[in-house]
Formats: sequence, structure tokens, C-alpha cells
Amino acid sequence: MGGATGIHHVSYASELRLRHTRAEKVRALLVIAFTAALPWTLNNYWLSIVNSIGIAAIGAIGLNILVGFTGQISLGQGGFLAVGAFTSALLAGRAGLPIPIAVLGAVLVTALAGALIGLPALRLKGLYLAVATLASQQIIEFAIRRWRWLTDGHGFVDVRRLALFGWEVPKKSFELVWYWVILAVAVVGAAAAANLFRSALGRSFMAVRDQDIAAATIGVNLTRAKLTAFAVSSGYVGLAGALTAHYTEIVTWERFTLDVSIQYLGMIIVGGLGSVAGSVYGAAFLMLLPPLLAELAVMLRETVPVLAAQLPAVQVAAVGLVIILFLLFEPRGLDRLWRRILDYFRVWPFRY
Amino acid sequence: MRPAMIASLLMLALSACRQGGDSSDAESAKAGAGAGGGQAAAASADIQIGVIADLTGATADVGRPYNEGMLAYVDHLNGSGGIRSRKVVALSEDYAYKVPNAEEKYKKYVQAGVIAIQGWGTGDSEALRTKVKDDELPFMSASYAEVLTDPKRSPYNFVVAPTYSDQMRIALDQIAAAEPAAQVAVFHHDSPFGNAPVADGETWIKEKSYQLGYKSYAMKSGATDYVGLLQQAKSQAAKYIVIQNVSSPAATVARDLAAQKLGMKIVCLNWCSDELFIKLAGPAAEGHLMVQPFAPPSVAKPGHEAVRAYAQKKGLDLDAKGLHFVQGWYTMHVMAKGIEKLLTDGKPLTGPNLRAALEAQGPVDTGGVIGPIRFSADSHRGATASGVYKVEGGKMVEVAAAVTPKQ
Repeated sequence: MGGATGIHHVSYASELRLRHTRAEKVRALLVIAFTAALPWTLNNYWLSIVNSIGIAAIGAIGLNILVGFTGQISLGQGGFLAVGAFTSALLAGRAGLPIPIAVLGAVLVTALAGALIGLPALRLKGLYLAVATLASQQIIEFAIRRWRWLTDGHGFVDVRRLALFGWEVPKKSFELVWYWVILAVAVVGAAAAANLFRSALGRSFMAVRDQDIAAATIGVNLTRAKLTAFAVSSGYVGLAGALTAHYTEIVTWERFTLDVSIQYLGMIIVGGLGSVAGSVYGAAFLMLLPPLLAELAVMLRETVPVLAAQLPAVQVAAVGLVIILFLLFEPRGLDRLWRRILDYFRVWPFRY
Repeated sequence: MRPAMIASLLMLALSACRQGGDSSDAESAKAGAGAGGGQAAAASADIQIGVIADLTGATADVGRPYNEGMLAYVDHLNGSGGIRSRKVVALSEDYAYKVPNAEEKYKKYVQAGVIAIQGWGTGDSEALRTKVKDDELPFMSASYAEVLTDPKRSPYNFVVAPTYSDQMRIALDQIAAAEPAAQVAVFHHDSPFGNAPVADGETWIKEKSYQLGYKSYAMKSGATDYVGLLQQAKSQAAKYIVIQNVSSPAATVARDLAAQKLGMKIVCLNWCSDELFIKLAGPAAEGHLMVQPFAPPSVAKPGHEAVRAYAQKKGLDLDAKGLHFVQGWYTMHVMAKGIEKLLTDGKPLTGPNLRAALEAQGPVDTGGVIGPIRFSADSHRGATASGVYKVEGGKMVEVAAAVTPKQ
């Protein structure tokens, strides 16, 4: 299969495989070793950043299913995260359900909300759909800020400590336990997403993205495909929101603003539209950039004091700059960049 | 073409950064130096305090002098030998008034091994409330929200000043005394900070059976004028506008008010009761009232002398820095007093011990800048008395000192 002239398949089964070459299998083993070793080499501060990357990766995969794979642009990410977070917090807090069940409930409720808000997508495309999802973001934001029942009038909801099968996570190993929880959920989520696009349903999403009229003529049910895409995508986003709620142990509207929607769009653009792995790369890249810039600002305090003095502004500007540079030079993101490097070595010494 | 485009983008980004950078002065550089110390693992004898500051965010106009005051106090303290000859290191970073940033800074400080946290806003103090409880780190913030004063709900939060709700009660008492049946409009920041006293004010009117009318209006942040909001207040026939927001938007309200000749009187609660409000509003500030727990440097109190002496030594103009500088100074002072008591008692420097010391240390005198600050095991409400000021001739003139809500 894999040879100096590229990858050639002789059967459909081989083409459908997730990993085609020995190098890819070795890489998978390396990734497993890396993720297993990671928590033992980091202090709690950096581990907390890795944890937020994990949660962001789940949300980014969700958004990518909708935007990258189905071609339905959405500015409502922050709102869906909020639906997931509030649902899970209330199910666990007020209804007293065990946390895993509350999270599952949040996934279902958010998927339902997503399908509902996806209804305009049956009629709208492109910029019009973007504005419709922007409206959903604003409506959800309005609800979580003004609906006093949600927060008992406090403006925030306290969430109790994560407990798994009756075992409450101790303070000391908080970040470590969460690392494994988030990793497990993210791996399952990523594997499910990767497999989704090997199925007829996933393929129909991509057909809708590439040309919806053509998709309809070959028998894809557009209504079903679009609404399912919205539901599946929102399910992932709701999962990320629910994890955020239990991980940060407080739910406030300030975490689910339009900025967050834009940030997630940035993640999938930088990572690669229409790529599950790209969503993970993009989440890691955009979540690591600000703290790494902060470290840089500390190092360059004497020579470039403006970096430290204006750090939050610099962090925001850097993210913007990165997005522009990716759009200019590699619109298909980090994932495509990685594949180009792979191809270069695979067919070396030939050009292609 | 492409390299030129990138170069121009870089230039744009850099010039945008530089614009605000000029105003950063000696203190903020020092703030950074403190944070750097944390990276290099400060000596174990040093006492580390984490400071979450808003230097560039939505409330930076008042957040910057507050932070400068805190760091100035630490510098002053270390200049006189620290706390029982142990140096205090303040790790201070800007979080731009964003809750997720505050959580990130907080985790960084916990990792660095701080003994206490000096926070800033209401949203982030509430978000960190459960975390400081878990990590057992005493937390003082510049947020005076009522929920933070109850040790049952927020066992590690300490509030040094009268709460926003208490300030609102004082404002309503003042208004009711002047005009018993006046309509009151409450303009507030659209956030947990802004909302904090709104409901308590309404309850207060009912409790005291005041005849006041009461309506609240959220101020959209970043608005360039508040004419629309003033029109709503006008149709309410409001005589008084209580503002729970920072100085810059409050000054905009004052200017719009003067331009529209509506004849309403503003009553600022503590985050817009300052010199900056007067400076920004100019003549439009005249005659408005302020409820401010911390005495401004222009109203000389004995407690200002130490701050003024420090400022003179460093070549700072205390009157230009204003009362938030003093506020930051004395907030840090209360924390330092608690640490001092702990060390004097010879107990190990831990969060729970510091919490107990802050509760047990009795009233901390601030030389009249703010009433004595006293915490107890049942209440983390440090003080209840505020000064009431009136703007006259471009200055804050004391109308009444140490006013508490009516019993």
C-alpha cells in the first residue's frame, strides 16, 4: 500500500481503514505514549491548560462537524456550550442526578436545541445562516443573563465537585483525575467522529457541503442530513459545555459569549476545516498560544516591556494574526500542513 | 506582495499595542517584576501574594490605580523590612476583566505557592469563591458584593469595605431624607458587579417604607452616550440616578445629563465616586453626590500621610493617582496586618491560619481613610460606614463622614 509512489488501495476495505501505513500506526502508539506520560511531567498549572485544551478539542470537533464537514456556518457555539453547561449543572445540582447521567442529559438537550436552531438552515445558506445562528447565540445569551430561575437570581450556578461512582475527586489530584476523564471522553468523541465520516450519514454531510443540489439528486435527504448534522454537532458542543461546568465548578454567562463562538471558529480554521485531527490541533494551538505568550512576555520584560504591559491585548491580537496568516497561506490548516510534510517524506526523493 | 502585507499587519499589531503602553509607569513595571519572581521560585522565606488585576480591561480606568496602590504598599512594606523581616512578593498579572483569564492566573498563583489572593471584579471573585474555599486561600477583592461577606457561603472571601448593597442603602437613605417621594433610577453595569445591589435596594425601600420610586436600567458597556437611557429615566420622572458602574461611563451620563438639561442628580456608588469622574465630566460633575467608603487624598485624613510620604519619596502625585490608589494600599494593608498577626503568634503560614488570624485580629485602623475594618468568624463584612461627598468646584467635598445604613 504505502510506497515511494504514494498510497494505493486494492480494496474498499483497505481504503476505509483509519490508518493506512505502518508509520501512521507507529505515530498512534507514540501519541498514546505521549498522552500517558504527559500528566506526570507537568505541574498543575500546565495540566489545567492541557485540560482546557481537551475540553476545547471536543467542542471544536463538534463545530467542525457542522462547519467543516457539512458546510453550515455557525456563530452559535457559545450559546450551545451554555446550554450544555447549564443543563448539566442543573441536572446534577437541582435534580440531584449522578454527574455522568447529567452530562449525558446535557448532550441530549443540546442536540435537541441544536436541531431546533438548525431549522432555518433548511432554507438559509452562507451569510444568511451565519446571521441566523448569531441570533441564536444572542437569544441564548439573553436567556442565561436575564432568566433568574436558571441561577436563582445569583447570576451564577455553583457546581459540586466531580464524583464518579460515589468517589469524590480529592483536591490534590483534581487536575490529574480530570485529565484522565477528559482524555477518555475526548478519545471516544474523536473516534466516534472519525468513524462517522466513514458511514453513509457522514458521507451525506460532506455531499451537502460540496453541492447540496447534486446531493439531493443522488438521493441524499437534505432535511435529514442538515438537521442530523446540527444535532450531532451540538451534542459534542453540549458535552464540552457540560465538562466545562463540572471542571470549573461554576457556570456563569461570561464564559459563553460571542467571543467564544469566534474563538472556536478560529480553532477549526487554524486546525483545518473538515478534519477531526485538525480540530484537536487547532484547539491545542489556540489554547496554548496565550499562556506561551505570557511566558515570552516574562522573558522579554527588559527588552520589550510593552509585551508584558499590554499582555491581554497582545494575546488577542496574536490569535487574530495567526488566523489571518493561516487563511492566507494554508487555509486548510495545521492538519493539511502535517499531511504535506508526510507526503514530502513519503514520496521522497520524488516531488509527487 | 505577500511579505509586504505581513509586514504591514505586524506593524499594525505593534502600533496598536504601543498606544496604551505609554501610560504604564514605574509601578506596573514593578508588578511585572513581581510576577517574574514567581517564575524563578521566590525564596522560601518570602511571603507570596497573588494579585489579579484589571490593567487593560473594561474596568481598567479604576483598576490600574488600585493595582498601583497595592504594589506601592508592598514596596513600602518591604522598604521598612517586610513583615517581621520577611519579604512580601506580590505576583501581579493583568486579566483584562475576563473570568477565564482570572481562573488561569489563579491556578498559576496556586502553583507558585501563594498564601493569599488579592482579586478584583465581582464576576471573577464569585467564580473563584469555591476554588479559594477548596484551596484554603484567603481572598480579598475589590468586589464588595453581599454574597462574599457570608462565611457560610464564601468562607475564604473577605470584604474590606461596605458592600454595594450597603452603599445603595446609604444612597437611598440620603435621597429619602432630601426628597421623600422622589423617583430613583438605577443605572448599572451589565454584569454581576452592576447587578449586585439592585435587588437589595428595592428590598430596602420596602423595609424602610420609603415612598421612593425605583427602576433599574442596564448600561450597555462601550456605549458612547446614554441619551436613550436618560430618556427612559425621564419618562420615569426620575429625580435621582444611582450609578453602579466605573467612572468613565458614569462621567458620560453626567455630560449627557448636562447637555439635555434634565436636572437629575447623580448618586455614584464607590466605583464611580472618584477624581476621574470629576475630571472626565468637567463642569457637568458639579452638584452630584457620591457614596465612597475610602476618603480621597484631597480630604486629608491621618491615614493619608503614610501614603503621601511614600508617593513623595517615589516622585508620584498622590492627588493625580486618586482615591483608588489609597483603596488598593489599605486593602493590602489589611491583608498584611493579618499575616503579621499570624507571624507574631508564631503559627505556621497557611491559608486556614491566615483566615483565623484575619477573623481574630480585631479592628484594623486606617487613620480615618475608611472606618476600622473588623472581621469575625460569623461575618466577613469588614465595614459598614461610607463617606458621603458632593462635587463642588471640581473637588469632592465631604458632606457626612462614616454614614451607615439606617437601623
